Amino acid sequence: MTDNQTPHKAIEVGDGAAIPHKSDSGLFTAWRIAFFGAIGLCLFLAFGRPDQYMAIFKFVPDGILVTFKVTVGSILLAIVVGLIAGLGRISTNRFINGLASLYVEVIRGIPLLVQLFYIYYALGRFVKIPDMLSAIIAMAVCYGAYMGEIFRAGIQSIPKGQMEAALSLGMSRGQAMRQVILPQAFKVVLPPIGNEFIALLKDSSLVSILAVSDLLRRGREYASETFSYFETYTVIALIYLVMTLFFSKLISLMEERLNDGR
Amino acid sequence: MKIFRTLTATMTLVAALSVTAFAAPKSIKVATDATWPPMEMVDANKKIVGYDIDFMNAVAKEAGISVEFKNTAWDGIFAGLDSGQYDAIISSVTITKERQAKYDFTEPYTSIGQILVVPKTDKTSKVIANLKGKKVGAQIGTTGAFEIKKVPGVELKTYDEIGLAFEDMAAGRISGVVCDEPVAAHFALQKKEYRDKFKVVGKSFTREGYGIVVKKGNSALVALLNKGIKAVKAKKLDVKIHNKWVK
Repeated sequence: MTDNQTPHKAIEVGDGAAIPHKSDSGLFTAWRIAFFGAIGLCLFLAFGRPDQYMAIFKFVPDGILVTFKVTVGSILLAIVVGLIAGLGRISTNRFINGLASLYVEVIRGIPLLVQLFYIYYALGRFVKIPDMLSAIIAMAVCYGAYMGEIFRAGIQSIPKGQMEAALSLGMSRGQAMRQVILPQAFKVVLPPIGNEFIALLKDSSLVSILAVSDLLRRGREYASETFSYFETYTVIALIYLVMTLFFSKLISLMEERLNDGR
Repeated sequence: MKIFRTLTATMTLVAALSVTAFAAPKSIKVATDATWPPMEMVDANKKIVGYDIDFMNAVAKEAGISVEFKNTAWDGIFAGLDSGQYDAIISSVTITKERQAKYDFTEPYTSIGQILVVPKTDKTSKVIANLKGKKVGAQIGTTGAFEIKKVPGVELKTYDEIGLAFEDMAAGRISGVVCDEPVAAHFALQKKEYRDKFKVVGKSFTREGYGIVVKKGNSALVALLNKGIKAVKAKKLDVKIHNKWVK
């Protein structure tokens, strides 16, 4: 992809849970209703219908922990991979640039589910890596490509004059990148990375196909034994909803803090 | 009040319809998870084949009905029966008390046992309990998975398909796989890729009967299928099918 400078302003649509902004009062109320509604419904099901639902709530917590670990592990690794890919994409070295672009194009062209299968079982062929780490690596490789594009856009959004000024002050290119450009770029890329985090949290449910005992797999195990599919997936959906809403709020608070410090 | 009358009318109608729906049919849709060789699998021509398929066709012929197979993922195969996507399941389903509480089964049509498969490098393990502190895999929601869960200190890992469990064992991520005896033999003794890597250990440690599953209360279909099974057994067709696929 090349950056085509269109005269129209592109519309912005987030792919994560709607990260509520204070000015958007409609979404802000929706967030409250969804978040507290989901928690309320969980409590109601657990204590109001204990014979059907309590067992499910007792069965899945270790799965929540695994989902959380996979998400956090993957996002941290994906940020590292993405930063390298992003720097590669703006590199003036043809070889590095080509390699980074190839990585981004290839990964973005393959469905996440297929990649997970592929990387997980391909890794298994050559090296002995435990299952959860394999899943994290697979997720990070996938998300690293999208992160790379975010970092590239973030770095390129810093006015060229900044680099020129840093260079004229006698800094090396690397020094200027580390001390001038990147700290500013990080602020710019934080909101999209927050969105990616929420998307990754949801996509982490895909690792359940790799026999990683995450939230979804725990639910499926429970349902496959008790045949209470409706009840189980109601609970699983509610827990994911509470998690994504909670983190979207946390991220929006973090962004506000950062903006205050500017 | 009118809404209540409409509601009762609808409910009576639904009840009447479901009674007719459970009358003996001419053709039925049967779900199978074709990832369980040699019992049910997809061949090179994308056709569903295997012991269960031949058996079901023989039963249908004897019962005078026609069958359409539907390849369905194991996880959720029972849910599909609940929602009426098919009339029956033949997919190496062991008759258990828990399953009988929710679904109706035919008479058992064959019996098998669970067995343990380990890598050849493991010289000592004979039973699941020997693998304490290790991970042992099985297909999700199968009796193999339930057996592993019963053994304290062994971590159960569940897979969508049994083939993925064997692949994970080949990658060294798990130390054993538990599944039905014929399936274990297929993967550990016949499959070229795994023959040198895995071995079946010990004897099968459960005795389980396979049954054809139908929706609870569909006694017309159960009776029809049982009639077919009886005829198949009387003609010794089941022995022929067994020898074709398992021996």
